[in-house]
Amino acid sequence: MSSDFYKTSILPFAGIIIKLCRAYTNSQEDFEDYYQEVCLQIWRSKDNFREESQWSTWVYRISLNVCLTLLKKNKKTVQHFVSDSITVEETEDNYAFSDESLNLLYDAIRKLSEIDRAVIMLYLEEKSQKEIAEIIGTNPNNIGVRVKRIKIRLKKILDGKIN
Amino acid sequence: MEKSIEDIWKEGFLKGDALVAPKVNNLYNQKSIHIIDKFKRMFKINLIAIVAFSFAFLIVSFIVGIPITGIIFFVTLSVLVIINKKLLNGLDKIDKGASSYQYLKSFNEWIQKQVTINKKISRFLYPIIFISMVLGFWFKDAEGMPLGERLVNEILIGFPDVYLVYGIPLIGIIIALFIVVILAYFGGRIYKWDLNLVYGRVFKKLKELMTDIESLRS
Repeated sequence: MSSDFYKTSILPFAGIIIKLCRAYTNSQEDFEDYYQEVCLQIWRSKDNFREESQWSTWVYRISLNVCLTLLKKNKKTVQHFVSDSITVEETEDNYAFSDESLNLLYDAIRKLSEIDRAVIMLYLEEKSQKEIAEIIGTNPNNIGVRVKRIKIRLKKILDGKIN
Repeated sequence: MEKSIEDIWKEGFLKGDALVAPKVNNLYNQKSIHIIDKFKRMFKINLIAIVAFSFAFLIVSFIVGIPITGIIFFVTLSVLVIINKKLLNGLDKIDKGASSYQYLKSFNEWIQKQVTINKKISRFLYPIIFISMVLGFWFKDAEGMPLGERLVNEILIGFPDVYLVYGIPLIGIIIALFIVVILAYFGGRIYKWDLNLVYGRVFKKLKELMTDIESLRS
């Protein structure tokens, strides 16, 4: 991966990648592994980008696919597709933002299923329902309902924790 | 809860430390070490398999009455294993602390050396295996007489004019020599084909990784 490509095509979207990788990892070490793997995959897949969507959408899609793939490979991380059954590994103490509310929100997001995590993060990044559906590969009509359901769930988890 | 999750999200990421990208530097080190460790494991398993096979074949050869084949097989494969074990020891000397590129380059050089040596060995190995099979069956006991001798007698009944050299039909010697020459000639290629069959995927990954790193260095 050339440093030029990293600077021009990945670094401007590093925020997206960081936010997503954070939602699928519990330690700084895992986060760095995920981040680097995402960067590498973006670089490897760059020739497949056909400009049918925005580059940021492409970056999102690759980031999400890599995170989901690594999550499956990583035995340390507990996987759940069903929102109702929740077991999440403890997050390491040194793996935290300085903003306590953001930490609590991330902890709550990590308790969601893999797909719900992606949906809510894309929603919080102000992606449209159509874009979210396009990235995840689902029907846009279901996204609105799903977002509402996830938000209720997050509020329930966070209730009383954040003032 | 008073703040909405949207507000928490926006305000949280306004703080400077929230979006610090890690350096992309360690991935290649991990990957190269992983690939080489995988190759070493496969190589060791392969050597153990050869030893196990040569032992098993030695026993079977005595049971079925072709001990010459079994002994030659065993000795030849033992020499092959000893040489490759020495080569494998050389692989352990490669410094894991070196940069990924240097590490992979050293590994690649080791592979090339290993392939060159084994290609040379293969030019002898396959003909020796063939000769051991011929000798084994030639001297196999067939009702009190070596199978080869019995076969020659049968041929002489059908073709009494056949030319013999030390009691062996000349045509048979020519055919056997032809096969030996062909095996010696193609031994290296057979080895390469065999090598790709077993380690092809690892070599492909290694090549991809080296291309990636070379591209990164350019």
